[in-house]
Amino acid sequence: MLIRESINTAVDAIRSNALRSILTTLAIIIGTAAVITMVSMGSSAQKAIDDSITKLGARTIYVYPGWSRSGSSSDRKRTLDIKDADALEDDREIDWKIAPEIRGSRQVKLNNESVSLEIIGSTANFFDIRGYELDEGTLFSERQDLSRKRVVVLGSSVPKELKTSKKRLLNNEISIAGVSFEVIGFIKSQGSNGWRNPDEQIYTPLYTASDRIFGRDTINSINVDFSTDYRVEEVMIAIERVLRREHDIGPGEENNFRINDWSQAVDLRREATSIFFALIVGIAGISLLVGGIGVMNIMLVSVTERTREIGLRKALGATSKVILTQFMIEAITLCLIGGLIGVVLGTSLYFLIAFLQDWPIVFPFTAIIGSVFFSAIVGLFFGIWPARRAAKLDPAVALRYE
Amino acid sequence: MINVDNLKKTYYMGNQSLDALSGVTFEITKGEYVAIMGPSGSGKSTLMNIIGCLDSPTKGTYSLNNKEVSQMSDDELSKIRNTEIGFVFQNFSLLPRSSALENVMLPLQYAGISLSERKTIALDALEKVELLDRKDHKPSELSGGQQQRVAIARALVNNPSILFADEPTGNLDSQTGMKVLDIFKRLNENGQTIILITHENEVASAAKRIIHIKDGNISNDEIH
Repeated sequence: MLIRESINTAVDAIRSNALRSILTTLAIIIGTAAVITMVSMGSSAQKAIDDSITKLGARTIYVYPGWSRSGSSSDRKRTLDIKDADALEDDREIDWKIAPEIRGSRQVKLNNESVSLEIIGSTANFFDIRGYELDEGTLFSERQDLSRKRVVVLGSSVPKELKTSKKRLLNNEISIAGVSFEVIGFIKSQGSNGWRNPDEQIYTPLYTASDRIFGRDTINSINVDFSTDYRVEEVMIAIERVLRREHDIGPGEENNFRINDWSQAVDLRREATSIFFALIVGIAGISLLVGGIGVMNIMLVSVTERTREIGLRKALGATSKVILTQFMIEAITLCLIGGLIGVVLGTSLYFLIAFLQDWPIVFPFTAIIGSVFFSAIVGLFFGIWPARRAAKLDPAVALRYE
Repeated sequence: MINVDNLKKTYYMGNQSLDALSGVTFEITKGEYVAIMGPSGSGKSTLMNIIGCLDSPTKGTYSLNNKEVSQMSDDELSKIRNTEIGFVFQNFSLLPRSSALENVMLPLQYAGISLSERKTIALDALEKVELLDRKDHKPSELSGGQQQRVAIARALVNNPSILFADEPTGNLDSQTGMKVLDIFKRLNENGQTIILITHENEVASAAKRIIHIKDGNISNDEIH
């Protein structure tokens, strides 16, 4: 009950000095808002990654080429080619799906518009593995792949890059590195995953890309998609076995290819994110510290200003503990108000950014609870001194204070 | 009821010491209406602080209702102030942001009484000073006389043994001041012990007994 009275008194006192109170808590507002926004943005990025990993209940391992030294000369050549992908495809130990990728940037032309875009050549199951869905038209088939048809499927923002519309492009020709291709479909907008933007890429059958665009049968990577029934290590070992055999690598020799579980990249990214987080939390901590000192300062002013009031309350029977509680609660309330304003600001800012950037929204519960809790702690810590000062006032002296 | 024996209060400033009270002895019994009178600097405020349990004496004993007060802890003194003593101050000392009713309820809050009960008791007290219709007014919306009556209601709300009034008419015009003194008179007739601290003869003459303080000593103790 005493707590409730104290809260009323505190809110009253804060309201009667509204502007001063808001200015005092500004640093706390900014600190809290920064934490909420940054932590939420981090969660969004994390969710985007996790989503793309768990899509279709499957996982993907990427195989990248390494470098080989042939003989005594140190000429290097790419070590992964279409045959390697075929060998993986033919190996039936694990029920996986294989999509090799051959990649590069080329000039894409439509009428007088010309832009450089990334072209990806892959097999028909590439879209399935990546979880890209068809928006309009059709995807290319295995037959179109084998017959090296000049067809392309476009990312959703390619028409805009070429300053035209999907409607006008569908079933029409565009030119890639001087060769004309028919646009047969569009995939739905995927949003950037932070490394690449699938919406700005052009997809074409593997053999078409190999023969008609890039003129090589070395490939940039192989996507190996497998169900969650298999353990990652098990699949990696199977891939290694097949490729070592294909590449004639003897026992004791090193692999001339690299196998990446994406989770490694995710881990790396997580690590980078956590460093970033630590930085933000550090800045926020300093901001809250500054805010806390501000609150302490204003509470000291308040105690001096209200010396007579404190004297009166003591004369009427308030114990030192009651006075202490009252001023502690006032400091905590002040910080909490700052924290809550910060939460509202930070959350709004995050929603706005997530909306504009088309990120998945993760409601920042933990961050909100954490920062509200933390601002209360700041109030508690920095409120102690002023509150003790108030509690220790001699009522006879305080009553006569002018 | 009040037993003061050889009460001394010494203030120290650096290595100088000043005796505000140099051995005061008197007794006040229940139902008395006493004025403590003296010019400023005479020690009457110090005396009031001590018998009002706002301050402790340097030497001597003071017992209130047969309880020795001079050796009590801060918390015990708070409790005594809350339950045994009602204060009325010269400057009214109302909380500016609280209504008349809330001001009167404040001592009851510190006594740990429930909100609904507090309201009933406080409304009762406001009725006694004829301010029930002003219960929701803030002090700034009340006249000086009305503010002092709110303060009296607040002082009485805990049924104190003693009502202390420190220059209660000091900030009021003479007519309003008389009204306040009338209230005290009525209260005393109903058995309330009242101690009035003042430097004005007129005000002091409202009391039945006047204790004159001069230079930290009782110079005269008269009953009329």
